[in-house]
Amino acid sequence: MGVVVEKADILVGIASYNNASTIGHVVEAVDAGLAKYFPDKRAVLINSDGGSSDGTTDVVKSASLDLSAIFLKHPVHPAHRISMPYSGIPGKGSAFRAIFDRAVEMEAQACCVVDADLRSITPEWIELLLNPVLKEGFDFVAPLYSRHKFDGTITNSMIYPMTRALYGQRIRQPIGGEFGFSGTLAKFYLDQPVWESHVARFGIDIWMTTEAVANGFKVCQTFLGAKIHDPKDPGSSLADMMLQVVVTLFNLTEKHFDVWKGVAGSRDIPTFGFKYHVGLEPISVTVARMLDIFRTGASDLKPIWTDILGAGDFREVEGLAGLSEERFNFPNALWTRVVYDYAIAYHNKKMAADHLIKSLVPLYLGKTASFIIEAAEMDQRGAEEEIEKLCLEFEDKKSYLVNSWR
Amino acid sequence: MERFMELLFQPLKEFWESSVSFIPNLLATLVIIAGGVFLAWLARLVMTRVLRTVNFDRFCDSSGLTAVVRKAHLWSKPSEMTTRFIFWFLVIVFSMVGLSALRLATVDNLIAQFFLYLPRAFSAAVILSIGYVIAGFISRAVLIGAVNSGYHYAKILAEAVRLLLIVLILAMALEQLQIAPGIVLAAFSITFGGIVLALSIAFGVGGIDTAKRMIERRGEEDEQKEKGRDIEHL
Repeated sequence: MGVVVEKADILVGIASYNNASTIGHVVEAVDAGLAKYFPDKRAVLINSDGGSSDGTTDVVKSASLDLSAIFLKHPVHPAHRISMPYSGIPGKGSAFRAIFDRAVEMEAQACCVVDADLRSITPEWIELLLNPVLKEGFDFVAPLYSRHKFDGTITNSMIYPMTRALYGQRIRQPIGGEFGFSGTLAKFYLDQPVWESHVARFGIDIWMTTEAVANGFKVCQTFLGAKIHDPKDPGSSLADMMLQVVVTLFNLTEKHFDVWKGVAGSRDIPTFGFKYHVGLEPISVTVARMLDIFRTGASDLKPIWTDILGAGDFREVEGLAGLSEERFNFPNALWTRVVYDYAIAYHNKKMAADHLIKSLVPLYLGKTASFIIEAAEMDQRGAEEEIEKLCLEFEDKKSYLVNSWR
Repeated sequence: MERFMELLFQPLKEFWESSVSFIPNLLATLVIIAGGVFLAWLARLVMTRVLRTVNFDRFCDSSGLTAVVRKAHLWSKPSEMTTRFIFWFLVIVFSMVGLSALRLATVDNLIAQFFLYLPRAFSAAVILSIGYVIAGFISRAVLIGAVNSGYHYAKILAEAVRLLLIVLILAMALEQLQIAPGIVLAAFSITFGGIVLALSIAFGVGGIDTAKRMIERRGEEDEQKEKGRDIEHL
């Protein structure tokens, strides 16, 4: 790629695609973070770009910060900036692969990746993501954010409860987007033959987290505050995002059966950072459309759902479809069985993966609508308690998944 | 009297002679058919074991082939159906070979036609089987996609797509079998064109309300955007 390879102690990666409006701020925050917390370390900032046409890479090169304005001295080793295009399937995962590649080449001790569309990143994020690796010897640092109670619904209803139940570690944001990791783990990631799969796209986050946990790397999480960022690419539909994340989750479930089959319950993992309450911008939610799609699914996807869930659970789902918005409630126990049944159906290759996971979307929207109705009057803490109840249900019903796995 | 006796016995003698000369042919036919049935039975036995070893039934379940044959009200296991097909195919082939040992001109012609037709029949069967699976796959993709988009007539749309594809596949299979190709082509053009036209008219007329709703929904979404951002799923 025409860039002189140097050795580095720290590598910060930013995956981008048409983020000219936000990436300048991210680069400045990274620069400030490196200058403030790691002034004596050799650091490099890698921007792995997916062929932006809005001048993103120019912004990366030109972004500059007056360090004296934030009472900082110029570091001993100013961070190098490298902006490079990645190759492979277009997506976040391929961008990360190029970052791992550079981390291994430069023999970096500690690395972190941050999204290019962040508006709430501060210099402290860099410290919080890197220090657990540099000072405490952790291999993987997951983020912990303050999020609106209705945000991250795939995480809250599926990814977090299932990952926690399977591997027994309470990583609250397994697909958060920002991660810290050691050079050893970067090499491990790079050596895996997954770069032609959904891991090359939105599947990368759950893949990184699960592989770190399942392979016995030292894992922790760090509180970063609020995550405010630009909306995801409007071209990426819910069904496609869900497909990439859930297929990766199920593939990993398949791969690590021997790791998770004997795990019971869950435990907290070391958590860094100072927790504080964050005021979050309001969200407008329309459950009517979610319920409409759920009800259409219950009537039109009947043969598919019956095949996957079984006649008994389908009847229960069908019963829910007949309820009014006021009375609508998707029980945690039923939802847990739904997710586990889908995992089993995927394992048994009951139908094409694409069809299987996309047929889960209306059920997921039903569960999301139910949560929104239920948590409408709750504060953040109350909503979190509801998510905790769901997680316990996933842990409680795990034997069903283990016993059905053949 | 001698002349009369000759006239009387000559046909019987000829019948006896031709019968005697035909008996080896008949025996050969019976032996070939019996041997064929035995070989077919043996092949069925071997295939049953092979298919069981490679988990053929599970593969059919996972690839959706079992579901496809269930739709045609065939309830046996896929491995059973396959071995049964192999058995009967071999029985028919050996019967044809056996019949050819009779050395009868009419039967020989029939057999020659049968063997010449076999590749076409095979191609048609392959087109039908693969086409049926593809039609089911595409129709299911349309159904799920339409449901996820909130389209209320998802099932009708998916069935319409399936019907169109099946008409296309049937026409291809019949064309392969060379069954009245001219009529098949004309019938296909009329049917296919008719279905497309009917769907266009139905969608156009029936879609007025849908289009209205879509425009209204778009307005509602814009209004929602003004009120605040939507939830983030990831």
